Amino acid sequence: MFRNILEKGRRLAGLGSLVAALTVAAPAMAQDKEPIVFGGSIPLSGVFAFAGIHLHAGLTDYTDWINSQGGINGHPVEYVMEDTAYEVDRSVAAFKKISGSSSPATYYGDSTGFMKAIASELNSQGNTLMSGASFATVLTDNETYPYQFIPGPNYSQMFGIILEYIASQGEGGDMPNVAFVYSDTEFGKDPIENGKARAAELGIEVVEEIVTKPGSVDVSAEVLKLRRVRPDYVVFHGYVLSPINEFMVQMRQMGLDTQFMGTFWSSDKLIIDKMGADADGYMGVMPYNYYDSEEGGPMLEALRAQAEKSDPEAGYRPTGYIQGWFNAMVWTEVIKRTLDAGKELNADNMAEALASIKDWDTGGIIGIPVTAKNMSFPVGRIWRVNADEGRYEPVSDWIHLD
Amino acid sequence: MDWLFFGEISLAGLAMGGLYALIALGFVIIYKATRVINFAIGEIMMFAAYLFLAFAGGMEMSPWIALPLAVIGGSILGGVIEKTMIRPMLGESPISVVMVTIGIASILVGLVEFVWTADPQLLPNFLPREPVFIGELYLAPKIAYGFLIGSALLIVYLLYFRFSRGGVALRATASDQAAAYSMGINVRRVFNMAWVFGSLAASLAGVLVAATGGLSPQFGIIGLSVLVVVIVGGLDSILGALVAGVFIGWLETVAGAYLGGEYRMPATFLVLAIILVIRPYGLFGTHEIERV
Repeated sequence: MFRNILEKGRRLAGLGSLVAALTVAAPAMAQDKEPIVFGGSIPLSGVFAFAGIHLHAGLTDYTDWINSQGGINGHPVEYVMEDTAYEVDRSVAAFKKISGSSSPATYYGDSTGFMKAIASELNSQGNTLMSGASFATVLTDNETYPYQFIPGPNYSQMFGIILEYIASQGEGGDMPNVAFVYSDTEFGKDPIENGKARAAELGIEVVEEIVTKPGSVDVSAEVLKLRRVRPDYVVFHGYVLSPINEFMVQMRQMGLDTQFMGTFWSSDKLIIDKMGADADGYMGVMPYNYYDSEEGGPMLEALRAQAEKSDPEAGYRPTGYIQGWFNAMVWTEVIKRTLDAGKELNADNMAEALASIKDWDTGGIIGIPVTAKNMSFPVGRIWRVNADEGRYEPVSDWIHLD
Repeated sequence: MDWLFFGEISLAGLAMGGLYALIALGFVIIYKATRVINFAIGEIMMFAAYLFLAFAGGMEMSPWIALPLAVIGGSILGGVIEKTMIRPMLGESPISVVMVTIGIASILVGLVEFVWTADPQLLPNFLPREPVFIGELYLAPKIAYGFLIGSALLIVYLLYFRFSRGGVALRATASDQAAAYSMGINVRRVFNMAWVFGSLAASLAGVLVAATGGLSPQFGIIGLSVLVVVIVGGLDSILGALVAGVFIGWLETVAGAYLGGEYRMPATFLVLAIILVIRPYGLFGTHEIERV
């Protein structure tokens, strides 16, 4: 009797093993196709490491997630990267190495400087579509950068969204005025001229422009200048944290009721974590839903589940993580469209596929369907810090620039 | 001309210049006694500021306990660096010693990235936040109180160097090492003491500057920008460090306010170029005459 039960158990175990083996083997069989490579020059160290670590986590987690879904049209995805320390020469070297060894279909560039420097080589190779950490306006010039795109609005478009919001706050024809505060870098200066032109179109007066060193130590002289013009809004660009905190604290100490706003890299939760109650009321333009927002959607839920799975201890994931994930999402969509059209996976065809993206549902990463325009996605929303809750809350609808 | 505005801008610049003077003092004390240009001074500042963050932020100590602990920690670091890495280089070419200090700076950046991550940080608030008015002139409270704390240390230092045995030994070693040695002064101990005192001044400045402008692993770059102050004042002149620190702080702020932020650095480097042409050894530096 006992031997009989044991024998049946063995047979069942054998059958179970076979089923298990087939279950494990099935996706692998589906992924026998040649892998598609996502390449990346990633700033895991250096001045941009605070974001690079999270960009890398977003790209890594997306790659794991898409492979768990069977890859792209059955092709497994490999993510190949090198640390660049946010130095252009190292980013270029990493690109050459990864291009030579892995033939990436898409590539993550860590800076505007790198993406500009590599453009001619990228154009002559014609194999790879590139996006990355940069939202630089210049990269949406399709003549010079036909194979590079922006994973959201460019900085000028971000200013456009901010200024539309400010214009919408004008009551009874009393249009608010604005001051621009930006760092003395290519990054900082990027949207200023276009921002001034857009402000003029909307009837918003730019009452002051302040330029600071990127790691400015003391901004009290600049605050004194702002006290004299008493702007309704100050828009920051080209910073991550400092000196935004000092401007806000000192201007409030002077009794000014100015409101403060910033662009993508100045609108992470880092501002709330580091400034605490002083961050209350700060507003940022963000093309993606925050990790801890109340918004939902299948892809946003998948992102949260994968983030939890890959590092249960990490908790909140910064905007850099979502930016990395969204880059890889766009790459996947572009590759899929190219393969579905039966075309060769080269830069021309992928750029064409990107341009064909219209009313694309991002599954909750962006709250409305998005359309690619001039190699960017000119959409965003204004979010305001609720310091008591420790998070950003939306204060505008999604704004899609035409 | 809006004289009230000019007065407020000048006051802010002078107060910031006081902190520059404190950092420059850290440079000068070490150079004066040991003839080593310490390119790691900015990173020692940064390390002390991170120590403050750990004590006051992570361990939730009172900032007024954390501040001296962080400053002492930074000065101990300076002493350890001298004993373990600079002293073995005695007699080697100056460029080799400079390269060692650059290497130390890189190691410290890597260390803080490893321990505290690369995220930008803000120090816990520990200075009063009420606006400071001198007559009708407004001064940002962090800058005002930072200046007062820094000035207190400067006065202690000046008194110490003038009247104490240690201060006399340090001055004697600075003026003639061989003579100081023959008079029984422990020159090696003086070298170590110079690194400890120089790092202490830099550490206090590090915490005060980080309290105003935030902290990141790249914070140490400010140490290099203060090199302008040291060269203008004279590498081996404490008086030069004080005068040039205050002047460069004022000039930078006034240039930023009237010409725009992008002209802050050009204005200071213009002064540097003029000084180098007129007095290559700095405003108050020693003009060494080498007789063959």
